[in-house]
Amino acid sequence: MSVNIGDLELKNPVMTASGTFGYGEEYSHYIDLNRLGALIVKGISFGKREGNPPHRIMETPCGMLNAIGLENVGVRSFVDDKLPFLEKFDVPVIVNIFGETVSEYRRVAEALSNVRGVSGLEVNISCPNVSKGGVEFGADPGVAYEVTREVKSVTDLPVMVKLTPNVTSIVEIAESVEEGGADTISLINTLKGMSVDIEERVPYLKNITGGLSGPAIKPLALRMVWEVVNRVSIPVIGIGGIMNATDAIEFLIVGAGAVQIGTANFVNPRATIDILEGIEDYLIKHGIHDINDLIGTLKV
Amino acid sequence: MISGRIILNREIAKDHFLISLKLSNHFGSAESPFQGTSPGQFVMLRVKGKEFPLLGRPMSIYSIYPGDNGFIIELLYMVVGKGTYIISRLKPDEEVYILGPLGRGFDIFPDRGCVVLVAGGVGIAPLSFLGEHCRKGAVNRSLKIICYVGARRSDLLVGLDRMGEMCSDIRISTDDGSRGYHGFVTELFQRDIISFSSSDSVVYSCGPSPMMKRLAEVLKDHPVPCQVSVEERMACGVGACLGCTINTKSGYKRVCKDGPVFDIKAIDWE
Repeated sequence: MSVNIGDLELKNPVMTASGTFGYGEEYSHYIDLNRLGALIVKGISFGKREGNPPHRIMETPCGMLNAIGLENVGVRSFVDDKLPFLEKFDVPVIVNIFGETVSEYRRVAEALSNVRGVSGLEVNISCPNVSKGGVEFGADPGVAYEVTREVKSVTDLPVMVKLTPNVTSIVEIAESVEEGGADTISLINTLKGMSVDIEERVPYLKNITGGLSGPAIKPLALRMVWEVVNRVSIPVIGIGGIMNATDAIEFLIVGAGAVQIGTANFVNPRATIDILEGIEDYLIKHGIHDINDLIGTLKV
Repeated sequence: MISGRIILNREIAKDHFLISLKLSNHFGSAESPFQGTSPGQFVMLRVKGKEFPLLGRPMSIYSIYPGDNGFIIELLYMVVGKGTYIISRLKPDEEVYILGPLGRGFDIFPDRGCVVLVAGGVGIAPLSFLGEHCRKGAVNRSLKIICYVGARRSDLLVGLDRMGEMCSDIRISTDDGSRGYHGFVTELFQRDIISFSSSDSVVYSCGPSPMMKRLAEVLKDHPVPCQVSVEERMACGVGACLGCTINTKSGYKRVCKDGPVFDIKAIDWE
């Protein structure tokens, strides 16, 4: 089941998606974190962020909207208070990082480099719920390139860049971050959406718009992963509405080297483990001894 | 997460339901996670095998007791949207997923001689569990439990029988005056507030947000301790997604993990 994602060797291709798994501890009562391929924690900025005012979430058909606004404890508190818990586990920790300016991205990356217990960085250039940074960085190929290059210049950690689907051409952005030196690309982040309470005529989210996730976005995510895989030569991680092993296997077949599980964790705290076991069953059933013989085998 | 088999799922007042579930033993563990559940804690109830509703729905525990080979749990809920409507259509013997018990329940003050409960609608559920807990655990046989119960109309008053059994006194209000005091339950409570000693009483409340906001106003300058159970839309229920935050005087707090019970004075009701 092991896969190599750039310089990262993972015992299996199932990771948690940032923002859906807290700092790991929240789910440690429900699953054995040691079994995860990698654990990606909630996005970290340089200083603490309060996040958006409530209401922050709303369920929609086969999905949900969220506008959390990247609430987080800040990089210092993360390293001092949250990371020590995760060091007890044999699981690579990838820290999702975020900044309002290119220099904040660089400062967060610097602060996490050479920190024991951090195996990699995921650069979030794709959050749709914050007014500065986030989506603006990921929507412009030039800026996406610049952020990637800046982060790479200050760290030796493997750098994964997480892309937004809220662009005209995700392939163009993917090519830019590859050129900027990204080791890996992960996609997709949420799709910007909204939902209205027709009785009160107000948006259900205080932020008005939010990011759509869940099974509703899976076909679109799969299509985007397929397009990006065909255009870049670095590994691609598939994210978007993966609820079960079948969904995960679809992403692997189109060429994702690994997958991230997000909203499914909310539905079922054991989702990652169920998916992992489901992939193992599939491999056995199909006589596949090495998962790498499955990845990128779509027949067209 | 465990399976719950529906024993009954009955409409006890318009759009108000009582669901009773037999919980299976926790997979791979001898001890049920529900051992030692405290009043004010909640569960996430999710319909099996559907992608809508995708997420569980948070519901306070109304009662929990050991049945043969597992626990029986009761929940009160109101149909407020499509998700709860779908739950309300489930039949006996159908199964749902239950995640819990979750959150931080009510603090118990065993040295206080008077427990005052202020309930609105299905908000009576966690207070009924709490009242039962206080009654059972009472060191002091003379413990007084006084309950204020409000609803929009008399036919929407739920949980009165059980509450009546454990309370020394039950005081009812309806917004339309069809039973008891004509007006808000918080007004009825306010009328009596002077009779509650701040050193020997404790107030607990659960109900719609506007009701608890009025209660906060009533208790603004009163030193009696008051804890409230609040609700908010949730996704994970375990403190990870940060979706259910409310505004408090010390910043945003997660209803699922830091609550659902908070000190009424800690919440920013604006």
